[in-house]
Amino acid sequence: MSRLLSVENLTISFRTDEGTITPVQDVTFAVDKGRTLGLVGESGSGKSVSTKALMRLLPRTASLGADTKMHYTAKDGQVMRIETLSDRSREIRALRGGEMGMIFQEPMASFSPVYTIGNQIIEAIRLHRPMSKREARAFAIDMLDKVGISNAGARIDQYAHELSGGMRQRAMIAVALSAGPALLIADEPTTALDVTIQAQVLDLMRDLQRELGMGMIFITHDLGVIAQVADDVAVMYLGSIVERGPARDVIRAPKHPYTQGLLAALPSLDTLSKRLTPIPGEIPSPNARPSGCPFHTRCAQKIAGLCDRKIPREVVPEPGRAVRCWLYDENGRAVA
Amino acid sequence: MTDLPEPGKPTHITAETRQAEKDRQRRLKFYSASQWTLIWWRFRRHRAAMVAAVILATMALAGIFAEFVAPYGTTTRNTGYIEGPPQVPQFCDDNGCSIRPFVHGNKTERDPITLRAISVPDPDIRHYVSLFVPGETVKVLGIFETDRHLIGLADPELKIHFWGTDDLGRDVFSRTIYATRTSLSIGVLGVMISFVLALIIGGVAGYAGGFLDNAIQRVTEVVRVIPIIPLYMGLAAAMPKEWSTTQVYFAMTLILGLFGWPTLARRIRSQLLSIRNEDYVVAARLAGARPGRIIGQHMLPSFTSFIIVDLVISFPYMILSETALSFVGLGLRPPSVSWGVLLQQAQSVRAIEQTPWLFIPAGFVVLAVLAFTVIGDGLRDAADPYSEAK
Amino acid sequence: MLRFTVERLIGMVVTMALVSLMVFIIMEIPPGDYADRYAFRKYSGTGISVTAADVQAIRVDLGLDRPMLIRYFDWIGGIVLRGDFGQAFAFETSVNKVIGDKVWLTSGILFATLILTYLISIPIGIYAAVRRGSAVDYGLTVFSYLGLALPNFLLALVMLYFANRWFGSDIGGLFSAPYRDAPWSLPRVWDMLKHLWLPAVVLAWSAVAYQIQTVRATMSDELNKLSVTAARARGVPEGRLLLKYPARLAINPIVSTIGFDVNRIFSELPIVAVVLGLTELGQLLLRAYLDLDMNVAGAILLILTFAIVFMNFLSDILLAWLDPRIKLGA
Ligand SMILES: Nc1ncnc2c1ncn2[C@@H]1O[C@H](COP(=O)(O)OP(=O)(O)O)[C@@H](O)[C@H]1O
Ligand code: SF4
Ligand SMILES: [Mg+2]
Repeated sequence: MSRLLSVENLTISFRTDEGTITPVQDVTFAVDKGRTLGLVGESGSGKSVSTKALMRLLPRTASLGADTKMHYTAKDGQVMRIETLSDRSREIRALRGGEMGMIFQEPMASFSPVYTIGNQIIEAIRLHRPMSKREARAFAIDMLDKVGISNAGARIDQYAHELSGGMRQRAMIAVALSAGPALLIADEPTTALDVTIQAQVLDLMRDLQRELGMGMIFITHDLGVIAQVADDVAVMYLGSIVERGPARDVIRAPKHPYTQGLLAALPSLDTLSKRLTPIPGEIPSPNARPSGCPFHTRCAQKIAGLCDRKIPREVVPEPGRAVRCWLYDENGRAVA
Repeated sequence: MTDLPEPGKPTHITAETRQAEKDRQRRLKFYSASQWTLIWWRFRRHRAAMVAAVILATMALAGIFAEFVAPYGTTTRNTGYIEGPPQVPQFCDDNGCSIRPFVHGNKTERDPITLRAISVPDPDIRHYVSLFVPGETVKVLGIFETDRHLIGLADPELKIHFWGTDDLGRDVFSRTIYATRTSLSIGVLGVMISFVLALIIGGVAGYAGGFLDNAIQRVTEVVRVIPIIPLYMGLAAAMPKEWSTTQVYFAMTLILGLFGWPTLARRIRSQLLSIRNEDYVVAARLAGARPGRIIGQHMLPSFTSFIIVDLVISFPYMILSETALSFVGLGLRPPSVSWGVLLQQAQSVRAIEQTPWLFIPAGFVVLAVLAFTVIGDGLRDAADPYSEAK
Repeated sequence: MLRFTVERLIGMVVTMALVSLMVFIIMEIPPGDYADRYAFRKYSGTGISVTAADVQAIRVDLGLDRPMLIRYFDWIGGIVLRGDFGQAFAFETSVNKVIGDKVWLTSGILFATLILTYLISIPIGIYAAVRRGSAVDYGLTVFSYLGLALPNFLLALVMLYFANRWFGSDIGGLFSAPYRDAPWSLPRVWDMLKHLWLPAVVLAWSAVAYQIQTVRATMSDELNKLSVTAARARGVPEGRLLLKYPARLAINPIVSTIGFDVNRIFSELPIVAVVLGLTELGQLLLRAYLDLDMNVAGAILLILTFAIVFMNFLSDILLAWLDPRIKLGA
């Protein structure tokens, strides 16, 4: 399987009125062609800013760490070093949309209210495909059809506020896919939708991904969704990836106390009878990052004097998996 | 493993706990602070607004105690110093320095070109400036009689004109101080009238809703679209010429107030409409409280801060209207003094060239309007930190 | 859109009806009606003593003795049906003659001011928002505060002073001497345009200060919208992105406040007209009021207010056309 994207030591800082904050620290992950990486974590853990960094969409107040490496293999086989591109370069414009597409949590807000959805799809198509206006329009109608919007020929001239929530998200998927990206980044695409619609949109995305052979980064705060869509998973907490590995293995046998906590808080058929146990405490704010292991303020298994002093290194408890926790030693065996 | 504190590092831990306790106290104070305390804390951090507040307070105080602050009356003339330029107190001149500030005396000479008698400074005479000097007897606040004035020349027979004199030899500084009182008080009265009207009209519309609301909205729209100055001109014509300056003053204030309410009334109405069906309001209604009480006790307090912001930023409108109208002779008339009346004397291009100090009252207008605007912005930010000042 | 337009149209007519009633009432307020003044003017100095009966005769003659409501309908009927604003008593001619082409001059100044305001404030406001926090942005904020605080008549004076120094003394007024009373001709229009910029600049000043802030604030909001990020994420080049997405929405508040701007311009116009010596307008207003010629005064107030109401209507329609969400909400 060939590598599509590899991210190493991604560190993101923001200049704010209260000083510099670093909500993402030393994040490392990779996406292979045709596979889905699930990025999971509570809100505020830095999932969105991490993926925005991939498309260089961060505001001007943001800066990347010196060791940050983001290598992307483009459709023509060339390797792009995203962290080195300038914000206004031709490469970055080709990358945005043409190589990577992005879908956001709020389909309503993703569309401009004063242009029809057709206008915005055709814009994306014409930016990345050599098509005339008319061809692009026909292509856009096909695309809307493909994402399951009935009567696409009429819907293309409607505004976002004239569609239902699910339809809007489908239309947004059409916008992102119409430029033919090799990697789709979906930032909580189903969070704002009704539960039944969520399932439909999820199915649609999985089908389209298979059909188009795209890589995908699927962001969610819901481990349950990960089980449905992701091949691999990376669990984020307070700007660090605390555990990663094949989705199925991680969910079946989580290593990190945080992942275990997330799973325990998840309603499922066999836990219906039991009380759900939410992770105690609150996620600390990124400008008051705890010393040592970021999770130690809420961890039931923390090792006093160690966890709150030293940042745990990433270790490999099993081939293909990685975890950042002092409970595992250099060789990845459980210590206690 | 255990959660017991590590032995050997007790100081570290107590320091940490002490810090944590301090943080907790601070947070407690923060969470338990009332809405107004919070607004005040945030406002205090707004430097420009604090400066503006100090400026306004100074102006208001000077206006209130005008009789004491101003060295002379509004009609006191100094025939020996007509259209005289400002006299700036100095500590040093060619004859050496002194601890007390002084100005030079004047002597009369003939202008070499026009042969008009003009007064020029005489560098050999020094008049010393002092505080609490005796002068005309005045009544401060309408009660306290005194002949002392805040500042002036030590010798009551002589006069100092910090900001020069006008064509009748009247002291611009003194007149500006008195004018400050007039202009600010028109603003205050006008805003108060607007506020009461807005409260009643907006309150009824927002509380009643339905047909009454619709009708009131129509009327509001009409009052809002009529341009104020042309309208005022029409009404000014209706004022009998024989009215006293006091009557004109109140009539003007009333008119400005009578047409200044729509913006605020709309705000009150829409806020009321939006909270009309909140539980606590419905509960009060079900409990049989009277509408006036429900509005006053339960509904208004939830957006008082916005009302205050709107009130503050409606001052500039009043002040600028008064100034403009008086300036073209439709508003207050001499012998009243207001910023606009004073500026009447500076109506020509000639004034810019020859007696620019007559424009000093304009500085007050600008300063006051700026101050109100900046304070309004500061208050808005303080009351609603998430809104972007527009 | 049609339904929306019709609704707004009806709203406009209702407002205009109420406005006319209000203006009429204002015209009625001055103590002593025109008959008194007319009699005084006509007979004073002639040695003839005027009796109450004479005044009453004049009153009947002018139709001033009829009930108020009838006179209102008479007045508004004449305006609506025949475009006839009645007699200008003080000028001893019809109001239409007195006002006449001043309406066009006023419109000229109005539109010159509006265009100038928008041409300046929109691009600058957008620029300030994009360069938020820069020295330029900071400078513009200071300018805006000052612009709002400086009374327009002072600005007019200062501008007049500099205009006099730089362009010679013939800058005040609306026409140079040879054209003042000449009939309309191309050179006369050109002459007017040469004079028009000064009042336009003065009147635009505070509107520019205000609208720069409005555009800047909306643009800042719009720049942070997800739809802008989404457009950027599909590779739209930055310049086109700014114009097509945030800037397009940043002009909406401008459009929605056109009526407000017109109102302010009409409010400032009489004052500025006096300072700049635009005798054609300012003096007319003043004289009408001082002569208690409420027919002229009422006509002017009515025309100005109708213009504002109409501009409000236009702005509603324009806004609905610019923003597809509005038609739905209406
Ligand atoms: N523009 C910004 N300026 C400053 N801090 C930011 C900015 N955007 C995000 N952050 C910080 O980054 C943290 C992570 O945000 P985000 O990536 O949106 O979290 P998630 O998507 O996991 O919910 C936030 O808690 C916030 O403190
Ligand atoms: S490092 Fe320590 S605190 Fe962090 S998760 Fe592992 S056990 Fe818990
Ligand atoms: Mg997010």
